[in-house]
Amino acid sequence: MIRRKVCYALLLVMFFTACNQQPDMNTEPGNSVYYWRTDLRLDSTERAFLHLYNINKVYCRYFDVVQNDTVAGPIPNATLTFNDTIPEGIEVIPTVYITEDCMHRWHRGLAEKLVRRIRQMNETNDIPNIREIQIDCDYTAKSRRTYYEFLDSVRSAWGGRVSTTIRLHQLSMPAPTVDYGVLMIYNTGNPNKFDERNPILDMRDVKPYLRYLSDYPLPLAAAYPVFSWLRTIHAVNVLHTVEADEILRVKHAVEQERPSLSAAIITYHLDKENINRYNPETYEEIYHH
Amino acid sequence: MKKFIIISLLTVVSLPLLACAGIGTFNYYLFNLYDNDEFAYRMERITSNNWKVYMGLNEDDWFWFSEEKVTEAAKQKNDALMQSYVHQLARYLKICDDVQGDQWEYPTKEELAKRRTTLEAIRAYANTKLRTRLRSQHGLLYMRANMLLGNHADNVKFWEETASQYINSVYKDMMYNIYAGALYKTGRTDEGVDIFVEQGDYRSLMTIYYKRRSYAAINDVYNANPKARVLPFLLQDFVNNAQEADDAVKYESFGGKLFIRDITKDEAKQMIALCKRAVSEQKTDAPAMWQTAQAWLEYMFADKKQALSDIQKAVTMEGSERMQDCARVIRLYIEASMRKQDTDFDNWAGAEMQWLYNKGNRANPKPNTSYFERSSYYDNAFERIVQQVMADKYQTTRPEVTVALYKVQGFYGCQEYLDTTTIANVQQYEAYLTGAAKTEMDRFLKNAIRQQPQQDEADADNEYNDLIGTKYLRLCQWDKAIEWLSKVPIAFYQNRGYALYAALRRTSVEPWIERQFLRDAEYYSEGARRLYESPKLVFAKQMQQMEYGMNMLQGKSRYQRCYDLAVRYAQVNFSGDCWFIMRDAKSPGWDEVRPNEVDLAARALDYLREAAQTTDPQLKERALFALSYGELQPKGLWASLEWNSEKADYDRIPQRNSSQWKAFASLIDFERQNPAGIARYVSRCDEYDTFLKAYRK
Repeated sequence: MIRRKVCYALLLVMFFTACNQQPDMNTEPGNSVYYWRTDLRLDSTERAFLHLYNINKVYCRYFDVVQNDTVAGPIPNATLTFNDTIPEGIEVIPTVYITEDCMHRWHRGLAEKLVRRIRQMNETNDIPNIREIQIDCDYTAKSRRTYYEFLDSVRSAWGGRVSTTIRLHQLSMPAPTVDYGVLMIYNTGNPNKFDERNPILDMRDVKPYLRYLSDYPLPLAAAYPVFSWLRTIHAVNVLHTVEADEILRVKHAVEQERPSLSAAIITYHLDKENINRYNPETYEEIYHH
Repeated sequence: MKKFIIISLLTVVSLPLLACAGIGTFNYYLFNLYDNDEFAYRMERITSNNWKVYMGLNEDDWFWFSEEKVTEAAKQKNDALMQSYVHQLARYLKICDDVQGDQWEYPTKEELAKRRTTLEAIRAYANTKLRTRLRSQHGLLYMRANMLLGNHADNVKFWEETASQYINSVYKDMMYNIYAGALYKTGRTDEGVDIFVEQGDYRSLMTIYYKRRSYAAINDVYNANPKARVLPFLLQDFVNNAQEADDAVKYESFGGKLFIRDITKDEAKQMIALCKRAVSEQKTDAPAMWQTAQAWLEYMFADKKQALSDIQKAVTMEGSERMQDCARVIRLYIEASMRKQDTDFDNWAGAEMQWLYNKGNRANPKPNTSYFERSSYYDNAFERIVQQVMADKYQTTRPEVTVALYKVQGFYGCQEYLDTTTIANVQQYEAYLTGAAKTEMDRFLKNAIRQQPQQDEADADNEYNDLIGTKYLRLCQWDKAIEWLSKVPIAFYQNRGYALYAALRRTSVEPWIERQFLRDAEYYSEGARRLYESPKLVFAKQMQQMEYGMNMLQGKSRYQRCYDLAVRYAQVNFSGDCWFIMRDAKSPGWDEVRPNEVDLAARALDYLREAAQTTDPQLKERALFALSYGELQPKGLWASLEWNSEKADYDRIPQRNSSQWKAFASLIDFERQNPAGIARYVSRCDEYDTFLKAYRK
């Protein structure tokens, strides 16, 4: 009898453990970076960074997809040139940014063309063992349905893992059917609005979306900004870089709402200048699980 | 003799519409040390012209390289060498297209290998033709193939030993450019950069220096070589970026220009110190450039007084002719900004403006050139100085000079000013242009305006009379309006853009009950737009008669007259269907009551309030309904719209203290007791219906 009770108790514990299981356990825990340039070439600082912070994945932008007025349908743009390789042992996740206007209507065969191109880029440039691809799109209420159908087609054409970026404003929409999403915790402000807020990241812009986090049904990884916004002019003394404190404040706030967001962390994006912008302690804090 | 109002019909009709396009800040870069005739465009223009000559095309003919067409021309000339060259060139250009990588088909390893083989074949072919009459073209092809193959050292050698001996041609210039790139790729950066500077290849310079445009980087370049040829490019880029940052604060511009970077105040001050050092060390052969940069940065970021002192020194210093001109332009800007306007100023500034005007293309316009082709550095500087310095300087003391400056600049604000300013100011401007010049500024402006294309005298008179007459209409001074408008023939209005509206619309139609939309057929019917009377004159006479007889009226007839007048005021208001009585064009969403005109909507509302006092239920209902008409109170609407992102639609937020809410509420109170029942025009009004639902909540 006692043995039976122990069994029940054990089952009960297992049941509650399962119920409390972090929603983002489907994302593979670890440290990652985005690589968002048109020329794959790493310098010694960047290589050291990958090693120092145990980066196990690089989300590598392969190309963009943009609307073209002179050609029927969207076309690739700014394709990555491979002049270097990602260090061995680090997984490469080909990432494609697709502009939102491409999703204003359905383009037959677009997903297949995109997947075929990624495969060919891998083959031509000897990038082996690609398991996953990621699609990045700032979809809106207008383009969401088409984009989700497009993601379904990408999954079916690819056959492996597919992830997508989720912007904060997209948290209020139904989730796409992909393996997981990367929550983009940056570009939160309106760069055309002239107020005191940092368009890259400001806690006040993040706060309204925190309430969606705990119930968002898709497993999520979190991406934080370490970049500067070179083109945006605000005022003479304002540089568009985010203070380390602000990044960490936001990280703590989102992890409070959804603790499992600390499992898989990505920084945007790998660049010597970004690495030098923050001290090692900041990176250690950002990558703290 | 009212020739001064040289306003073309189209200009006038499109005037208010320009508001939609937004008004620029005229922040053209003043620190400009060379003409930006970009190398790539220049080469394309020249090679394109060469092909046109070869193919027997005219200079104005459109040309796009086509292997087929050029080969056909070569065949006709029995030019076998050209045929083979064109074939190989086309193969090379195809590879260039493929390298761009904008196709869905990404190349396989085999295709990449094939691409390389093709390039090697092109290179080998070109190498065999270097002693032919087309040696320059083939030399270029040889270097191009090498460039894509990454054979930069070979290109360096080829240029130094062979191509540099060729005769001067566009092909040699392009080879020289590839040589510069090869120098850069093989580590001889400074030599490569010097060639890019010499050729005006700013794209390549920007590629090389994109991340080295800070004070620190420029300081390094200066320390290494105070006479480095790239310094004007880097300094110009820095100072203009600094200006962007400064402008962003002043004008809240956004978006910026390509290649922009933020310059902080501290960094600008560091650059000022470097400029000072460069001048004092006397190692540069262009102290005017450094001194001007220093003064302009001081003006923007530090000390305007110091800036004035420094720019006055800059104009006396050594430098290229353009650098000295640049110093003079910036001195004009700074000094004019800081000096008080008086006769001395007018004489000095007039002479300087005359100099600047003569340097630009405005003084000597070239026929058949676009606005951008006409706009040189000097034209842009002139525009900026007029807009940001001179116009304000004279605005209060001598407004007629401001208008004349706008006129010389070709700024549409000149017409807008005349359209909206007081009658006295228009007459003062006329007197200014016809009177004697008292200062250098007057002389410059009068001469420049006299040189502009003149309008037919009768047309100018009609426009002037219509302008003054319309201004009196806007002030509701009917007698004066009639006096001026009587001088304008109907034919004048027949040619206005709004003639169709004037012919088909009536000021007596109640706008809150019936909108006067034009039918499609009427748009294209010549007969429909025929005018038989002057619309403005008729309106003025009607209003004179209706308003002047008001005092005689009492009771029901007075209330009716109030209502009828309200109808007319509402119709000729900018939101009414008969807007053309008061204005030349309509810009929905932008129009508002302007200076020197009566608020016609407010006057309509006043009359409606009086009409609503009537005991006649039908008239009262109409007046109350009219009082709730949104077009008369755009700032007092009963609900505001707020975007609801969850519904993806606007929510209407009731504004219970608004004038329209109160007007609708009065109408509802009236209708509750209206013995005749609700009129059809009320019950069918969708806005009334929507309001009712909100009102009952």
